[in-house]
Amino acid sequence: MSAIEALYIFDEHNATILEHVYRGRPPTASVLLPLYLSHPSPQPSLIYLPNTHPPALVYSIIQDRLLFLSPSSTESEPLLVLEFLHRVADALEDFLGPPLLASKIESSYDVVAQLLSEMCDGGLVSNTEPNALRDVVEAPNWVKGLLGGVGLPSSSPSLNPSSQTPFSLPRPSLPRAPSAAAASPVPWRRANVRHTSNELYVDIVETLSITLAPSGRPLSALAFGTVAFTAKVSGVPDLILQLNASGGILNTISLPVFHPCVRLGRWKEKPGELSFVPPDGRFVLAGYEADLLGGDHLSSFTTSSTSKSLANLNLPATADVRVSLGPTGADFEVRLSISPRFQNKPSGSSSSSSARGGIGSRSASAFSATGTTAHPHIEDVKVHIPLPAAVRTIADLRASRGDAQYAPGDAGIEWRVAAKDVAALLASHHGGNTNASATLRGSVVGEDEEEEETAPSVSLEAGSRWEYDEDESGSYQTSSAEPVQQRNGNDKGEAEQRNKRRVALNKVLMPSSATVSFSVKGWLASGIRVETLMVDVKRSKGLGAGVTPYKGVKYLTVSKRGVEARC
Amino acid sequence: MESISRISSMLETARDLTLEAARDASYIRKTSTRPLPAAQLKKLLDSRTERDVLEGLRKVITMDYRNQPTLPFFTSVIKNIASPSLEVKKLVYIYLLHHAEAEPDTALLSINTIQKSLADSNPQVRALALRVMSGIRVPVISQIVSLGIKKGAGDMSPYVRRAAALAVPKCYALDPSTLPQLLEYLATLLGDKQYFVVGAAVAAFLEVCPDRMDLIHPHYRSLIRKLVDMDEWGQLATLRLMMVYARKCFPRRTRRVKKTVISSTTNKPATKSTKGFYDSESDSSDSSFSQSYEEIQILDPDLELLLKSASPLLQSRNSAVVIAVARCYLYLGTPTHLDAAIGPLISLLRSAADIQHIALYNIVQVCLARPQPFVNHYTHFLVRSTDAPHIWRLKLELLTLIFPHAPPRLQSLILAELSHFSRSSGSQDPGLVREAVRAIGRCAQSSATSPRTSARCLRLLLAHIGSADAHLVAESLEVIRHLIQRDPDAHRTTVVRLAKHLDAATSAQARASIIWLVGEFAGVDPANNIAADVLRILAKGFADEAEAAKLQIVLLAAKVYVHYLNANPPSDPPQVQPKASPSLLDGLDDDSGFRDAEVPQRKEPEKKETHPIPALYHYILLLTRYDTSYDLRDRARVYRALLATPSSTQLASLLLLAPKPVPQTPSPSEARKGYTLGSASLVVGDEGGVGGLRGYSDLPPWVAEGQEPDARLRDEAVGSSREYEPMASRSQTASERLDSAVSAVPTSAYSRSPAGDTVLAPKKASANGVKEKSLDDWLAEDEESGETETESEEEESTEEEETESEEESEEDGEGDRLVKS
Repeated sequence: MSAIEALYIFDEHNATILEHVYRGRPPTASVLLPLYLSHPSPQPSLIYLPNTHPPALVYSIIQDRLLFLSPSSTESEPLLVLEFLHRVADALEDFLGPPLLASKIESSYDVVAQLLSEMCDGGLVSNTEPNALRDVVEAPNWVKGLLGGVGLPSSSPSLNPSSQTPFSLPRPSLPRAPSAAAASPVPWRRANVRHTSNELYVDIVETLSITLAPSGRPLSALAFGTVAFTAKVSGVPDLILQLNASGGILNTISLPVFHPCVRLGRWKEKPGELSFVPPDGRFVLAGYEADLLGGDHLSSFTTSSTSKSLANLNLPATADVRVSLGPTGADFEVRLSISPRFQNKPSGSSSSSSARGGIGSRSASAFSATGTTAHPHIEDVKVHIPLPAAVRTIADLRASRGDAQYAPGDAGIEWRVAAKDVAALLASHHGGNTNASATLRGSVVGEDEEEEETAPSVSLEAGSRWEYDEDESGSYQTSSAEPVQQRNGNDKGEAEQRNKRRVALNKVLMPSSATVSFSVKGWLASGIRVETLMVDVKRSKGLGAGVTPYKGVKYLTVSKRGVEARC
Repeated sequence: MESISRISSMLETARDLTLEAARDASYIRKTSTRPLPAAQLKKLLDSRTERDVLEGLRKVITMDYRNQPTLPFFTSVIKNIASPSLEVKKLVYIYLLHHAEAEPDTALLSINTIQKSLADSNPQVRALALRVMSGIRVPVISQIVSLGIKKGAGDMSPYVRRAAALAVPKCYALDPSTLPQLLEYLATLLGDKQYFVVGAAVAAFLEVCPDRMDLIHPHYRSLIRKLVDMDEWGQLATLRLMMVYARKCFPRRTRRVKKTVISSTTNKPATKSTKGFYDSESDSSDSSFSQSYEEIQILDPDLELLLKSASPLLQSRNSAVVIAVARCYLYLGTPTHLDAAIGPLISLLRSAADIQHIALYNIVQVCLARPQPFVNHYTHFLVRSTDAPHIWRLKLELLTLIFPHAPPRLQSLILAELSHFSRSSGSQDPGLVREAVRAIGRCAQSSATSPRTSARCLRLLLAHIGSADAHLVAESLEVIRHLIQRDPDAHRTTVVRLAKHLDAATSAQARASIIWLVGEFAGVDPANNIAADVLRILAKGFADEAEAAKLQIVLLAAKVYVHYLNANPPSDPPQVQPKASPSLLDGLDDDSGFRDAEVPQRKEPEKKETHPIPALYHYILLLTRYDTSYDLRDRARVYRALLATPSSTQLASLLLLAPKPVPQTPSPSEARKGYTLGSASLVVGDEGGVGGLRGYSDLPPWVAEGQEPDARLRDEAVGSSREYEPMASRSQTASERLDSAVSAVPTSAYSRSPAGDTVLAPKKASANGVKEKSLDDWLAEDEESGETETESEEEESTEEEETESEEESEEDGEGDRLVKS
């Protein structure tokens, strides 16, 4: 029942870099990998392999280009295994330093082995909390050097038997019992944390997932937010993080998910307030989503306010695809519009505190001004246009800005607009509120152009000749000779008809969507901002008197092919 | 929730560059892994300095993972097991676990040292020793392992106790005959007050003896209370256990509520019998659960406790936990419970693609059972161009599942969405196009769809018939055919329209489908018969048709002819008979083809000029005689033989005009509906063998009323477990709690039995609980349990008590506050 049987890790060239068997005799990595790869890409995260003996399930995740596989010979809970694989990836990264590289794993197998045997005992997942792992496994020396010695415990085994109840922590929402033990009273936090410089960082990252209908009207606009937290504070701090949004936090975000350290009761009482004792180091504090269209957009759906609702979304960049242009319908055009609000200002102005465009001006002066909040700017603009498999090549691919890449046989066009191009684009644009736009044009060339010209014409003509209301006089015998006569008589209309035909044929070769990728620093699509981050002095322990940690807030909105414009 | 490493990758822009660099570097890396010379390595391992030994061990472990032989160093490595350094020990243990099987004898030598470590002052060392000892796969040591577990289960450190719990399944795998002892240890561990330990104990229980529910009874309530505090993996194990437990121990009780019009008591046990058996319990449920008036199902208070305690877990960051709670709610709870789980289920779609994929399967499964609450989350189901095939397939299915329950506006949005994907313009996967067309069909078929929407679906499908994409056309027609077959009377005009589309349709398969439909449905109504007319037009182009279409034209001709014969039975049988018999003959006799072929043709203008249908029929038959296709000629021969005698068309009618069964197109996941939510079998489906993958077991059915174990087995008065948690049972009402708190007369009704007696203890309790009880008895018993509660509370540390009662008050509300104040 739901046991982890083995863990295999492969590098980007599919070479095995780690095999760790937990129980039984699962198929080996060399047996499993070809079977996994033989599955058409992209491989789903759970594949059933009936041909191994015994038949096996293979779970897989890909993290930083490393492939993690775990076989299972019996029924198991898929998400349990997948979550475990993610935790392994997290723990490895935590111990070996990000990003996770094959070479790092290979150079510290001893640490990896300790980690893997701690995380799963005889197939049962046992301990996946990074802080708890830190207590029992020592990070490799060179990572310690990298981390500058921060946050490593003075003595690694913290589980001394004298502590009364090391793991019985009070429910987070309750007042802490007065006699807190010296050893870690919180399972997710290491004991005896000491830092020379106390720092707290909040990083809120929102990933956009927006679908625009051919008319330009947004069908769905979701922002998936994650609050990443970095705590480098001595002792056992008790923190309160206050989030806010212009429309009220509850109206803005929905379906929140929390790290176990967050006191749920407090959130329910006072929405927007996260009260928690953080683990040491970096962790994901919460996740949420924001519907950028608002709850009742469906009712306004049929009304004709199409352009307005798009403007309300206030997207930094959108695209618009027009297809079947030109005389033969082989041309297409993609227009990328960038909102002038996200202009990349010279960095000198970043310290100015004037907030533009309604982005939250921070109230607490304790925060380090990340500066870009006042002037969010857009980076890494990329437009991806997937193409049908039948497209042989693209002729006359021209971008008014940036650099479009396409090689015959590619699955799509990638159009990169570098930062300087964006800046130039926005600088040349004087239109106040309207968006600056760049265009990409090209025309598709299908497979076997010559053949298509003649072959389907017969059937098409034949098709057009079928008349339901044809008079009855036509006798059976003459009908067989008819196509020949008709074709001969039809010569003059041929050119127009061919063009029409070409349009129809080229229609199949047109792209059907374009996706825009970008990242905007200092701006959140949902408009959420960090109001305050406070250390609850009364509840915190071990933090020296008068020590005020350095606090930093970072906002980032990312679209990884997240803005999709259909046509 | 996204994992931290995935979020980090977004925050760190330099990361991609590092990865690129690493990829380039990795070519060089491969060559530089040269192992140390064996002699040098041995020297390191044998060294006296800890540093050298550690260095040597690291080298050995590295070689291990590189699949280089390390067995020659076995003794040198194992020697270091007695090292005082924890670092060294850990690495030796790792090595030992890898290779003990290969060298069982040498491995056994190390057992003694490990056993000594079990008494180390450092709990981490003790736990490690226990883990390694149980992990050595050498069966002879099973008794030693068992002893080690016994010792570990009584350890002071919860860390060691947990290691003991995790060692139980390993010991069982080593030697199943140790089971009785292991069960004893498990019973102790299940009653541990540390949720940290209990989670592991439950996992071990599920591995070793998932059917011994009798071990769970005394710990049921304490397990449920610890659920919130356990780590995710413990929560998963506990929820899995509790689902089976609840099915086996809480009979499904139903009650007629005021709302229900039709008496639902016919197949469900009546309320009366419920009361007879469990009078006190159901009394309390009567009074305290007012919401049961809304619902059919009555929850046992203990089951209610489980469902309630699980609800905070819906906010868990672990997707598996969310699914496990949803599973509990789906199979144990009421629809209200399930509705609370819908949002968290949807939030799983934010996770990494791999988790999203599995989560979608589970969402579909829940949606099949209860689609309404998903309607509001439709934006999550819209297909994106970046979705992989296995993702969009499930999303499309979800859209069709919520379709019947969606408001009209959303319905039209979904249809627009589906038609967008069914339009095969450009880059879409042909599979997606096909799936979208099928989805439109499913939308149109659902019973809740209004005729107008249904007509719109049909319009969408009809628009595809002229498409150049043969697959799309064929798929659309397939769906249209299903629609028409389900309700032929409503679709008379559709068939006429389809016939018109014959002008435009180019794909042979599409033409064949249309012709079949015309033959099947157009001829039924003699007043509105277009079949003959269609046949006439088709006959003209017969030679140019593809074979598939030709086959259908011949069939159409036969059908039209049968209809004609049925409508106008030949007035003069003797006249036709002789003419027919030769044609029957020539059907059998191939050589005489030419002669026969001319016979009907010559005859027709003479005799049948009055009606064109027989003429058409014979003309088609004539054409097929000279076709190149064997199949076509054979078919024609069959029809000719069938229809040889115009006066007796019974057999032909039976064959040609038989009503066809209405095709069923269930949602694709309907086939997996039987599999439990959250299982791998649900994802794999019947591919993994009917009845699920190996090791899959269905949920047990609800226990029959009267067959369930006594509810009092779960009372916590059972004092056998060494460390059970002092906690009043939650099923008490506020006033009862007050009573028991006030009257503090010490009566030790339940004497504490020695540890290990757990298995027997429940039986004792059940023995004195069989008789009917009066209300006074009930109250008295409460006092007892309240009593033992206070008594043992004194034993616990004040911190613990504080925590627990606080926690309870948070969850349980009023009752506890009364006690406290």
